Order: sequence, then C-alpha cells, then structure tokens
Amino acid sequence: MPPELTQVGTESDHDVAHPLVGPLTFCRYSYRRIWSKVPDVDARREKAGDQPLYSRVRHELTDMVLRRALDDTSPLPPEPRLMEIFAVSRGTLRRAIDDLVREGLLSAEQGRGTFVNQEERLRRVVWERLKHVAIPDSRFDRDLREFVPDFFGSEEATRRVMSLEEWTSASRVFCAPDNSVERLRYEALSAGKNVLVPTYGLRRGFIHLNGSVLSRSDLRHAASLDGMELYGVVLGPGDLRRFGNVDLIVTGATAATSDGRHIGGGQRYLALEWAMLERLGLVSTAVPVVALVHECQLVEEVVEADHDCLIDFIATNSRVIHVWGSTGSASNEAPRSLRRIV
Amino acid sequence: MGIHRVGEQRGTPILEENRVSRVDTENYRERIWTELAKVARPDSRFHWDFSSFICDFEGSEECSDRVLQMDALTKRGDRRVFITPDNCLEDLRYKLISRGVSFVMTTYGIVRGFYELDSSKIPASDHRYAATLDGFDRYAKPVSLDQLRKGSPFSLLVTGGSAVSSNGVRFGKGHGYFDFEWAILSELGLTDKSSVVVDVVHDCQFVNEVMPAERHDVAVDWVVTPTRSIHIDQTTRQRGQVYWEMVPGTEFERLDVVAELRALTKENQT
Repeated sequence: MPPELTQVGTESDHDVAHPLVGPLTFCRYSYRRIWSKVPDVDARREKAGDQPLYSRVRHELTDMVLRRALDDTSPLPPEPRLMEIFAVSRGTLRRAIDDLVREGLLSAEQGRGTFVNQEERLRRVVWERLKHVAIPDSRFDRDLREFVPDFFGSEEATRRVMSLEEWTSASRVFCAPDNSVERLRYEALSAGKNVLVPTYGLRRGFIHLNGSVLSRSDLRHAASLDGMELYGVVLGPGDLRRFGNVDLIVTGATAATSDGRHIGGGQRYLALEWAMLERLGLVSTAVPVVALVHECQLVEEVVEADHDCLIDFIATNSRVIHVWGSTGSASNEAPRSLRRIV
Repeated sequence: MGIHRVGEQRGTPILEENRVSRVDTENYRERIWTELAKVARPDSRFHWDFSSFICDFEGSEECSDRVLQMDALTKRGDRRVFITPDNCLEDLRYKLISRGVSFVMTTYGIVRGFYELDSSKIPASDHRYAATLDGFDRYAKPVSLDQLRKGSPFSLLVTGGSAVSSNGVRFGKGHGYFDFEWAILSELGLTDKSSVVVDVVHDCQFVNEVMPAERHDVAVDWVVTPTRSIHIDQTTRQRGQVYWEMVPGTEFERLDVVAELRALTKENQT
C-alpha cells in the first residue's frame, strides 16, 4: 500500500506539532511555501524553447499525472520506460522527478516505484477548474496555493447556508478565514452572532467577534481579514475556552466529495483548529460542519486522502447537499470522526 | 531602490561628506525595521514580513489629515489622484472615499494593473471596507492604460515606502513599484511639473541624509510623517519614463501592463 504523504522533501519550513498525538501546543505555521506555483502559471511564464530540458520534462510528467483517472492509484511507469517516453537521460528525468517530489505531487521510493500523491493531484485538478470561477485574492491574485478563493456564485451558496435550520439556531459560529466565507462572516455578524475566526496562517491566533456589539457601519470591515482584528478580541490557544461552545462550523475548501470529505489547501488548518477546539471541549462530532464550494470543486471519485473534518452540508452555487442528514440523532450511519493525522 | 536587475549591483557608491552610499542602505534598513516594528501594524496575510508589504503604523491617521490639507488635493480642479495600495495609506483612502474623492490605484504588485474607484458609488456602511485591499477589489473597476490616458493628468500621487532620504529619495527593501507606476503614468502623459508626489512614512523611516538618486528613482516633493510635513525642492526632477532595457529579468517583465504599454508606445511611434 502506498505510504500516505504528508510533508515531502527536506526544505519545508513548516514546524508542525500535531495536537492529536502530543500535548496541545501552539503550532507555528509559516505562510511561506517552498513549492513552486501551480503549473499553468509557470507555463505562462516560461516561453517555449527557452526552458531547460528537465523543466519541460517536469511539465509533461505533471500533465501525465493530471490526465490520469482520479481513482488510478497505480505507480508511474518505471524509470527506463519514462526515459524512453520523454527521450531523456536518467539524470534529466531524475531532476524532473525530484522537483515534483519537492512539490508534493510525487513520491519516489527506491525499489518500489514512483507514486502519485492522490490528494495533491486532486488539488491540482480542481485548481485547474477553479481558475475559471475563482475571484483573485487582493494579494495572492490567482495563486491558489496561498489561499482558498471566493468564487462566482458564492452569494447563492451563502443564501443557501442561511436557509438552514442549523444556521438560524447557531449563536456561536466558527468561520474559516477563507475568502469564500467572507459573506457568511458578514451575515453572522449582521445577525448578532458570535464568530470565531482564525487569523490567516494562524499567525496571530484566533479572533472573537461579537456581532451584537458592533455597529452596522463596521460589519463589512469586521467580516474581512483586513479589518477583523480591529473589532474583535484576540484569543491564543490557551484562551479559546472564553469563546464558549461552538454551535456551527463554516469553512471553504479546495475540494469536497459528495460523501462529505473535505480537502483543504494541504496545510491541515481546519483539522488542527478542530482538534484544538475538541481538546478544549468546545466542539464535538455532533456540531454540524458546512462547506461552501463551487460546483466545479465537487469530486465524485473516492480519493485516498488525509482529509479533515467530515462535512454535513455542502452549499454550492446551485444546491445544498445534505451529507449526514440531521445531526445528533442516533442513526445507522457510522459516527463522524476525524482521521488521525500521520 | 528602483528597478534592479536580479543580481546587479545597486548603483555606484558615492562617498562624500553627508552623503550616503547605496552600500549603507542595508544598515539603514535593519535599524529602521527594528524601530518600525515597535509602531507597525501587521498585515492580514504577511504578518510582520516588511519585505512583502508596506506596513501601516501608529500615527498614519495624522499623516492622512496632513495630506487632506494639501493644495494638490484641495485645488486640483478636475485633475486626478493616484494612490498606492500600501497599508499606511488605508486611512487616507477611507477619508478620500468618505469625502467623495475618487482615485486611481494599482493592485498589489501591479499584477492586475490599474483600477479606478468611484467614491460616490460606495454606500457609507462600506467606506472603511472599500479602503482595504480586500474591499477595494469589490468596488473598484479595472482601467486599461488606453482608457487611463484619455483622462486628466494627476495632480497628487501618494505612496508609502520603506525609508526616505532628506532629498526625497526612497530606498530600502522595496520593489520599486511606485517608481514604475510613475514611469508608466508619465509615458501616458499623465504627469507634469505640477504633479505633486507625496511619501507617507513614520518618523523612524525618514533618514536625514542625502542619498544619490538613480535615474529611475522618483524623488518625492513631500515627506509626510505623523509629526511633520517636509517639503523638498524637486525642480530638477526629470520627466518620468520607463527604461525598457532595465525591465528584462525583473518581476515587471511579466506584468500585463508592461505588454500593454509596449503596444501603446509602439503605436505612438508609427
């Protein structure tokens, strides 16, 4: 069985301490990435014929990987075969593979073969689709590795969430700092709810915003990443208990499966945040999770991946998918649980 | 600061009494950033990484109020205002919006070019939001260079920066974005002798030394800090232009606006 991939390569500057396996510590996630940007951005920048050979092999190898069926988990052809296909030397091929290993797309095992990281491939496939509907970030533009985008149709998705009983009855809502969730953060504050938002990259802790004490003219500003720290209280991991029990979790995603699996940007922020809250007794598997995505981010195929929380409701630009039905009721379905992070 | 080729040495060191060499700018930057860290406000995404953004700082509200008094703004007539997306100018942008003053701004890193914000179209409840980078994108409209050049020249251009010298030369770990924006607007015929360039910085970012200017550096007319406004005589400032031979190898090369400008200037030549 192919080993599950977490951090690949030695150049990562992500210092990860997983609360599920150790004492609760404040995890320092750097927003810096050592992986290059999504392939088609590179392609746009490199003029044909000007690229070094290994770089061209890298692009072709990436294409080969992305064109496979999503449920194809077999290893890539062996090196000699790949050398034949691309008509290059072993050195050039190795260099291309090393790049893709560093990017997290491949894993090369001596004697076992070259395997594709399914989750990373899924992300790339969805990012390709997303480019047509994603709204650029104010700073990161369309570099989807750095942020979860808002998308055309998020207004409809937002309205759909607001029609859920789980939304109306929630008074304390955890909202991811994703751009697609900004409208919902505004609506939560507008309805006088208490909102808990992690700062981008968890660099400055969590922000507790109390919609009932904000003035109407501040709501839009307070719902944005640029403004929220002016209106809320900063909570470090040790202070999170002050927020109180969370009634509802709202998040964006890179991709979601119709059976409720959430694929984030690769940094496991949602899983980490959920774990922190669970440790403190502020959430449990009974708390509903809502994800906002564009239809193009829905994936039907079963993907072997280290996903985060399981989602109860997926709200898209055209519908709401009720994954688990009413939460909290005893049912024949397996209770929702978080997979252990390796 | 200015447009530097990757790996190229930064200008020729000129060592005279009271003159600062480019080599010293590294030392200045370290000292300035240490002081700045005490008064700076973090960016929502970049946190305290000053090399990725121009930070807001305590007292920027006082700077905005000074700029609002300037003749270049109050007596501009139908001439326009340009402002950069620096965080220290967010309060100024808010105040301009609430006074119904429209302006032109570039997107972060000039990646999506120039945008125009019509302040009269923004409801009062969204003024503060529209002044942020997140909110600006929701309200402003992209404007092509061709459309831009059909409008009136710029009376006032406001930027932030890493550091600035007593002769108005900006330096530090910047990317030269404003210098490039000035160059583009100048090529479009939108700047002239009466265009006023203002640099908004904290007092710790002002260095009371003369700095040599490279040809692509835009020397500023005013340095506005929370405590004072310093006017600098720039009658010798050259007309702005894009030095095309300096563009390859820089981050400017891949910008859509550069391709657009090339096409427009070729048009003018034929």
